[in-house]
Amino acid sequence: MKNMKKYIQYLAVSLVVGSTITACTKSFLTVTPVGTNLEANYYQNQAQAFAGLVSVYDVVGWQGGGFVTKENAMDAASDDHVAGGGSATDISDLQMISNYTLTPAAGPQAELWKAGYSGVFRANVLLGKLPNVPMDAALKARYIAETKGLRAYFYFDLVRLFKNIPLITSPLPADQIYDIEQVAPAVIYTQIEKDLTEAIAEPSLPNTVAIATDGGRWTKGTMHALLGKVYLYEQKWTQAAAEFNQVNGTPGVANPTYGYKLLPNFGDLFKLANKYNSESILEVAHSSQSNGNWGCIACTEGNVLNIITGPRSYTPTASAPDYISGYGFLPITADLFNAIHFDPRNKPTVANLDSLKAKGLCTYDPSYQNTGFFLEKYMGRVSTRSTGSGNFELNFPQNLYEIRLADTYLMEAEALIRGSGDLVRAAALMTAVHSRAYNDNVSHPLPATLAALKLERRLELAGEGHRWFDLVRWGDAPTALASKGFIAGKHEILPVPLNDLTSTKLKQSKEWGGTL
Amino acid sequence: MKFHLRKPIPWFQIMKITFTPILIVMLLTGMAYSSALNAQDILNKKVNLSVQNVSLADAIKGLQKSSDIKFIYSKNAINVQQKISIDAVDLPLKDVLDQILKPIGIDYEVLKDRIVLGKSSAPIVPVPPPPLMENKTKKKTKAKFDVAGTPVSGKVLDAQGQPVIGASIIEKGTTNGVTTGMDGTFKLSVTGSNSVLVVAFVGYKKQEITVGNQTVFNFTLLEDVTGLSEIVVIGYGTQKKSVTTGAISGVTSKQFEDQPVTRLEAILQGRTSGLTIAQSDGQPGSGATVRVRGITTFGAGNDPLWVVDGVVVDNGGIGYLNQSDIESIEVLKDAASQAIYGTRAATGVILVTTKKGKAGNTAINYSGYAGVSGPARKVDLLNATQYATLRNESSVAGGGSIIYANPSALGTGTDWQSLIFNDSAQKQNHELSVSGGNEKVTYYTSFGYLQQDGIVATDISKYKRANFRTNETFKPAKWLSFGNNIGYSYERNIGLGNTNSEFGGPLSSALNLDPMTPAVVTDPVAASAPIYANNPVRRNPQGYPYGISTIVTQEITNPLAYITTRLGNYSWAHNVVANGFLEVEPIKGLKIKSTLGTKTAFYGFESFTPVFYLNTSSNNSQNNYTREDNRLFNWNVENTATYNRTIGKHTFEILAGQGAYSENNFYKVGVTEYNLPVDNFADASLNFSVPANLRVGYGSENQEHHLSSLFARLSYDYDEKYLLQAILRRDGSSRFGDNFKYGNFPSISVGWVATKESFFPKNNAVSFLKIRGSYGVVGNDNFAENAFLSTIGGGRSYSFGTSDSFISGFSPNAPSNPNLHWEQTSQLNFGFDAVIYNDLNLTFEVFDKKTSGILYAPQIPFYVGAISNPFANIGDMENTGQELELGYHKKIGKLNLGLTGNISHIKNNVTFISNGVQTIGGQGFQNIQGGVTQTAVGQPFGSFYGYQEMGIFQSQAEVNSYVSSKGTVIQPNAKPGDFKWADLNGDGAITVADRTYLGSSLPTYTYGLTFNASYKNFDLLVFGAGAGGNKIFQGLHRLDIANANYTTAALGRWTGPGTSNTYPRLVDGDPNHNFTYNSDFYLESGNYFRIKTVQVGYTFPKSLVSKVSLQKARIYFNGENLFTLTKYTGYDPEIGGGSLSIDRGIYPQARAFIIGLSLGF
Repeated sequence: MKNMKKYIQYLAVSLVVGSTITACTKSFLTVTPVGTNLEANYYQNQAQAFAGLVSVYDVVGWQGGGFVTKENAMDAASDDHVAGGGSATDISDLQMISNYTLTPAAGPQAELWKAGYSGVFRANVLLGKLPNVPMDAALKARYIAETKGLRAYFYFDLVRLFKNIPLITSPLPADQIYDIEQVAPAVIYTQIEKDLTEAIAEPSLPNTVAIATDGGRWTKGTMHALLGKVYLYEQKWTQAAAEFNQVNGTPGVANPTYGYKLLPNFGDLFKLANKYNSESILEVAHSSQSNGNWGCIACTEGNVLNIITGPRSYTPTASAPDYISGYGFLPITADLFNAIHFDPRNKPTVANLDSLKAKGLCTYDPSYQNTGFFLEKYMGRVSTRSTGSGNFELNFPQNLYEIRLADTYLMEAEALIRGSGDLVRAAALMTAVHSRAYNDNVSHPLPATLAALKLERRLELAGEGHRWFDLVRWGDAPTALASKGFIAGKHEILPVPLNDLTSTKLKQSKEWGGTL
Repeated sequence: MKFHLRKPIPWFQIMKITFTPILIVMLLTGMAYSSALNAQDILNKKVNLSVQNVSLADAIKGLQKSSDIKFIYSKNAINVQQKISIDAVDLPLKDVLDQILKPIGIDYEVLKDRIVLGKSSAPIVPVPPPPLMENKTKKKTKAKFDVAGTPVSGKVLDAQGQPVIGASIIEKGTTNGVTTGMDGTFKLSVTGSNSVLVVAFVGYKKQEITVGNQTVFNFTLLEDVTGLSEIVVIGYGTQKKSVTTGAISGVTSKQFEDQPVTRLEAILQGRTSGLTIAQSDGQPGSGATVRVRGITTFGAGNDPLWVVDGVVVDNGGIGYLNQSDIESIEVLKDAASQAIYGTRAATGVILVTTKKGKAGNTAINYSGYAGVSGPARKVDLLNATQYATLRNESSVAGGGSIIYANPSALGTGTDWQSLIFNDSAQKQNHELSVSGGNEKVTYYTSFGYLQQDGIVATDISKYKRANFRTNETFKPAKWLSFGNNIGYSYERNIGLGNTNSEFGGPLSSALNLDPMTPAVVTDPVAASAPIYANNPVRRNPQGYPYGISTIVTQEITNPLAYITTRLGNYSWAHNVVANGFLEVEPIKGLKIKSTLGTKTAFYGFESFTPVFYLNTSSNNSQNNYTREDNRLFNWNVENTATYNRTIGKHTFEILAGQGAYSENNFYKVGVTEYNLPVDNFADASLNFSVPANLRVGYGSENQEHHLSSLFARLSYDYDEKYLLQAILRRDGSSRFGDNFKYGNFPSISVGWVATKESFFPKNNAVSFLKIRGSYGVVGNDNFAENAFLSTIGGGRSYSFGTSDSFISGFSPNAPSNPNLHWEQTSQLNFGFDAVIYNDLNLTFEVFDKKTSGILYAPQIPFYVGAISNPFANIGDMENTGQELELGYHKKIGKLNLGLTGNISHIKNNVTFISNGVQTIGGQGFQNIQGGVTQTAVGQPFGSFYGYQEMGIFQSQAEVNSYVSSKGTVIQPNAKPGDFKWADLNGDGAITVADRTYLGSSLPTYTYGLTFNASYKNFDLLVFGAGAGGNKIFQGLHRLDIANANYTTAALGRWTGPGTSNTYPRLVDGDPNHNFTYNSDFYLESGNYFRIKTVQVGYTFPKSLVSKVSLQKARIYFNGENLFTLTKYTGYDPEIGGGSLSIDRGIYPQARAFIIGLSLGF
């Protein structure tokens, strides 16, 4: 019997251990995530609302894991550049849009589509959450206006690149993902106009921001410029001109409302110190501080355009420019060089490496499709090279312009010319841009003709990602890009990415052999 | 202590390292023994015994209880029913015994810690019978009085003439019996000449003999090849193989001892049916891809559940085990057997049992080997002249110019492969174990050390492992036992960093670099070229720069230079997998057990990346030094109660249990410092002070994964003829939301031993036949944490203002799916086990395994805008198959022959993909559009998907005549020498819609064959394994680098009409996508059969070795991976890792030759 007591003791121990664990089963199986916020308990205050807003802005600076950006893809597609790089397959997405061998399965369109809808998703989430965030009402209204503007911007890129796209204005529940269908482009444009108009109407959206801290935040001016551009693509000439007029004001004179004014010296636009200058309307921000590394190219806040446009194995002498040795992408075509060669914007736009090499000032390895001409505006410099940790290649801090004043001047002029508007004003706008290029206090007048306008846009905005859109908008792409493989009636838009045709209700555009 | 890796450690140093722990073990062992009382102490122990007219048996029982002294006696030798009386208070035991035993003519003797009783004149059994016998003697059997029986004696030996210790000799029909002693001898008194002696020992065939007039018996036990008497581990218990009802395959230590495998997956490969195993790569220490009855699910969670001595070890984390420590491995293949592990069992359960000590003499064993390894095969590549010729041809065909004016002047050029392969890579392993024990303590302790150099770029491919294990069981009382199983290992791994990757690394580079570039530039003029003079190029010890190719660039770099950028970098791991248990048996047959287990690991790496310039795109301008530490702590608690009982012919066992499991308790912290003032790993240190912006710290932790479980099992058999087992497990998992937190996993299996039926013909043709059937449901929760919740992710940063800083943005990652539920796998299994003509045993299984509601995160449409893909219960998949295992053993005179083999066939078929998802993308390859594999309904998982080539256009006329039904030319841009692609959808053009399924990436059959022979002291083993039915994507060539070198297959390219119908013309730009489409051109048969092991051994005669105090000494010579039958043209058809059957330049398995020695003391 003495031993039975022992048995009972051990049994008891065993049972206690067992039942203790069983008793706390429920809480044992509910593990609270650490270091991860749940959507259900986020967006609780102003700081979290702002973090949500930042995530929407983040998409403006979208760079894919494979180096693809809207800017470099559109440059590669245009007649101003070829793809270049290490070989015919280096960053194949850029090669494929440059020689028009892209297919629904391969090409840069997947990245651009993904970027657009990522922006839309984040904007939709935030617009859904903001009404319930306890925070300053005026600030909340401003956030809503900015987010609407951003959503309009993403949709605008999507609709002009792809034409046939789905309209999604709130986050999709998991069980409705596959029910989505495309809508007519006009429906998308209506939504874009609505978002931008509402943003402009919001009193809390400022006209200007303090650039030291808030440079890059969108203002009413940004919204007007973007809306003008949207109208221009819709060929609503009068409305376009009216919006641009708000932004441009008197040609050559600072805009009293938004502070916009052309920089006196064209070359200064691409200097690091001039971020958010008076000409900047919508800038794509980059930073050298995020320590981006090869582990995640898409994660860096640095500008990848700087490294990819550098000449390969560039070895300068002391008196040569301090370019960074890069990957030799986006060589400038002889066609553009011939057009810009005798323009004052030549030097700030084109780096003539062949000439430097011929003078014995440097050596470099020709890239694939080398022309000897490189994109001076955005080539990485030793002086702009990141000294922090991470890989310097991925941490160049130079910003890009999505919209700047010279662009809106010319877009207004285009709207006026094509819409039979005020040609005097159109000429004044064009002349202001052209004269600034010389920066010699002498007027260098341009006539208000479409031909002059087209040339001026090409020279002013070379390498800034607009040329391909311009050619398509003007209907000039089939001729200008014929030698690159552009097929009229097909390559004006990008194909719907194969991924989104698979298992969904989406249809391919008829340009790409589809039914839509 | 610092390891110096560059030089092999001299032997004597190893011995030093080895002996320290052994000394510790010896000391421990000594302590265990010294605790036993000596004879005098026992006899002087004061006892109390006061009884009147009780039987001697009861008196002894009383003494046992009150004094904790054990008595041993044979009822046949002494009459314990005699009545005695005594009144002893506080008397020495000796006096008490003398008082009660002497008068009734019984002698006693102290043997170790117990007292043996015997007839004064009768001999005493030399070794105490094991507890089993004791139990039986205590049963109230019809104890006969000892009628001066017939004494018999003898010896029991095995086939090799070694004594069998512990074999039981029982007089048939009685409980009268003994076990053999250390020398295999026994003595027993039996009733008379009609008595039948039954000799039995686990693993050997039972023998019976009628006593007759004989008094001395020498038995030679033969191994029981049927294994029917073997004990099989089934999870929370064991079962006799003859009564198992599930599909369980296993191996025991005998099958793999002295075989130089480094990881235990290699033990199972080819030795068990139903498993598809492929080494991940040939890097020493690398694991293998293990699939139990095929791919069970879409996600990554296809690895089986490894359970080592009851502790769940995370997937693939079994590298810490030393094969010499393993007693047996059992693979639970059907759902009925798996169900006891419930939610984590769907991908198969592999139970590993490590060796335990046995009561008896201390056994000390050493086994070790040393040898060299080298590549079994190289790929034939073009030499410089051939390369230049083909490049010229390709360039001209593409509209370019001649690149190399005079190819023949270039000679053979650089053979990059010869620079990275090592034909004499060292390999050695030493293992020492000590085991033994007594009735109260058993122990097994071992120490192992393994060192292996890789055959590719040996300077950066090495592996070392040291293990320590101690398994102990303490049994202070008959009803109580506790113990522990503790395994520890330290691993140190130096890896290439890039295996089975087309993007760089020594192998991919050696395959793709042009043969023109010199390995080392010794010409001072060439070495002063700007590329060498102006860049931080890597140099050899003599100061010459390593050659840099300007022809083949991107990630393809000079492998010698690449090696110098990784010198010294290594990863390390400390692993402890341990459990402790406590078991009580309060009433007979009921065992209550608590087990506490853990896997605790510390691991990390240190790496230094110097400034280097390997080519324009592979360079690093800022050195960095990273140190990363990780720790992992998983634990589990399990409590089980088992009750077994036999009532008449009904035997049943009931198990009920409860478990709680906590996994994924993982923490990482690391730091990278940039721009240290050093240029190599050895000098790098975090002690250097660097500015804060050059010091980047990082860290993370995982979310814990919790499981809480209840489980029960009923096993029943009637006369070992009708068998039944039923299991129910209920699991709760933290990975599911409130709606679906719990899952139930039931199973049932039945068996019928037909040969036990009276009507079954009794003959040798079929001496055993068991027919089985089972059905069960198991689950899988092996996917991401929080998948049912919508989480917010960071890193969505943007920069505002002019300060160059940036702000972190946050947004939801993906839409949530609160309705995620358990993935279920149900399986129906039929099988039979048979023994035919006594020498041949056979097991056959047929199964149908269905997985439904597969948890997977398919690529959702981009328009959703999510940053990640949400998990969903999509997809059903089915695996059907058959398995056959055969074993045959024959003894012809002194020649012993054995042949075992197995073959498995499996067919995988995706039966449903829901949510409108028709296909799931698969593996990509370089710039091949749309990837190379795809999963779709009606096809095996991850099938190759691409274009079908229909031969090569031999002429323009053939191009022009390849027209659609509408008469249009299908490939208008093709030229003679290009592939003719099949226009499968008949639309008159070759588009993505013309892709089709080209074959399975999963092997459909696997097989293995072992041949054993021994003659006198010599033995021979040949072991081979193979797989097939799959295709391999031969992706050794960089398609996106026009100048990449080719294999010599390119010499057979199309060069004009009739030259080739299989290898297209070479043309820069590849306009017809001959190479840049995935097509059957790339797919080769994956069939292979490999002779994995040939071993010849010699066991020294005992008479010889006993002179140096050895029990056993065996020396052997072993050849590993001697040859492979395959048509595959790459290095190695055995391709595991993340993507089965896609060869991106896999690190091939070595061919090794070793000499080994095993000693028993």
